[in-house]
Amino acid sequence: MVPFKYISPKTKNEVLEILKEEKVKACIVAGCTNVLPNIRDKKIVSKVLVDISDIEELRGISKEKDKVCIGPLTTIAELTNSEAISKEGEVLYQAAEQFADPIVRNNATVGGNLVTASPAADMAVPLLTLDAILKIESIERKRGVRLKDFFIGPEKTILREDEMITGIEFESSNINKNGCFIKLGLRKAMAIAVASIAVNLEVRENKIAQVRIAMGSVAPTPIRLTVVEGFLKNKEVNSNGLIEEAINKVREEVDPISDIRASAEYRRYVSGILFKRAFNKLT
Amino acid sequence: MEDYIVELTVNGERISSPVKPEESLLKFLRRNGFTEVKCGCEKGECGTCTVIINKKTVKSCIMLALQARGKEIWTAKGLEKQELGRKLQESFVNTGAIQCGFCTPGIIVTAKNYLDQNPIPDKGEIKKAISGNLCRCTGYKKIVDAIYAVAVENQKSI
Repeated sequence: MVPFKYISPKTKNEVLEILKEEKVKACIVAGCTNVLPNIRDKKIVSKVLVDISDIEELRGISKEKDKVCIGPLTTIAELTNSEAISKEGEVLYQAAEQFADPIVRNNATVGGNLVTASPAADMAVPLLTLDAILKIESIERKRGVRLKDFFIGPEKTILREDEMITGIEFESSNINKNGCFIKLGLRKAMAIAVASIAVNLEVRENKIAQVRIAMGSVAPTPIRLTVVEGFLKNKEVNSNGLIEEAINKVREEVDPISDIRASAEYRRYVSGILFKRAFNKLT
Repeated sequence: MEDYIVELTVNGERISSPVKPEESLLKFLRRNGFTEVKCGCEKGECGTCTVIINKKTVKSCIMLALQARGKEIWTAKGLEKQELGRKLQESFVNTGAIQCGFCTPGIIVTAKNYLDQNPIPDKGEIKKAISGNLCRCTGYKKIVDAIYAVAVENQKSI
């Protein structure tokens, strides 16, 4: 078997050059929370490990005039210490506080959580309701992709072999300030979600002006519930039977499987409950 | 085949050793004699391999040895050299917070780093702080009591 190699580039451009050169042989590593267990299980073999953990230009949170920018190397612990995140995107802040455990949060990165593309990804769900945009770069081109178009299957994304995420952005807006994230796990710490939900809501004159709903662990990828969103838009917040009807639509729109954590039937049922809890918190 | 060398400091001692690119920091430390860093699940869940790197706790099974180049690492054994580490060790003994002892080095490391930053937490905060360390014997009560006893002592000395 071809042995592993290791390389630690110092700039983003060096990384992009390496990706172009090595293609599928390259494996970007940073927090290593998934990569090392996969190496141990021989799911990752013979790769060139491209360690990006020293590249400062990919790290950090900055608040610009009308948006918040997160470097992909930013750790989950850094999100939980950020005023910009708690103020502008509270839904993400809440998810960060429930992510794995305090030690893993020191290692795990936002970008790593997204590219791993687990259907349960705790960062993907809140970033979906913040309608985040990913900056994606290769040495040849740059593009911006909405997070809702990023995932295409379990552990599959639209990222090409020579590309990497170089930034994650969301708008500073009223709807993004008003969000709620709930994770249902079998334990309080180190839990992979049985189901998780994020809701962001903007109410104007008692009407739902804008709403975004995302869920984890109830479909092949983290998903937006656009049918439910369309149903709720422009409705009076307190109108009779609204929540009950929305709960039914949530249960129709999710597409869960049975696994070691829960059955598909339970996940479908509890999706409605989680929606009700999150929606009630915001209204 | 390329040679990779890792140089770092463990408990104040300089270590230099060749490594394979995919070797974890946990394996590297144990191979170099730091067997107080325990190998439990090897996938970042149990916390028995927790060490302090540049004042942050890290599960050493989910970090490449090469990623720790030039860093300052502290293990449970090294914390004996520090007052807070010794106090925690004594408190674990006095409280009987140990049965099989396998999780103890990891929990002492986590508790030490946490108390450095937050010297007088309540029991709820302690539970959250050690939520990344699993213990399969004592049911956590005595562990939390042991850490809390040190916190109470900290409060008296302020």
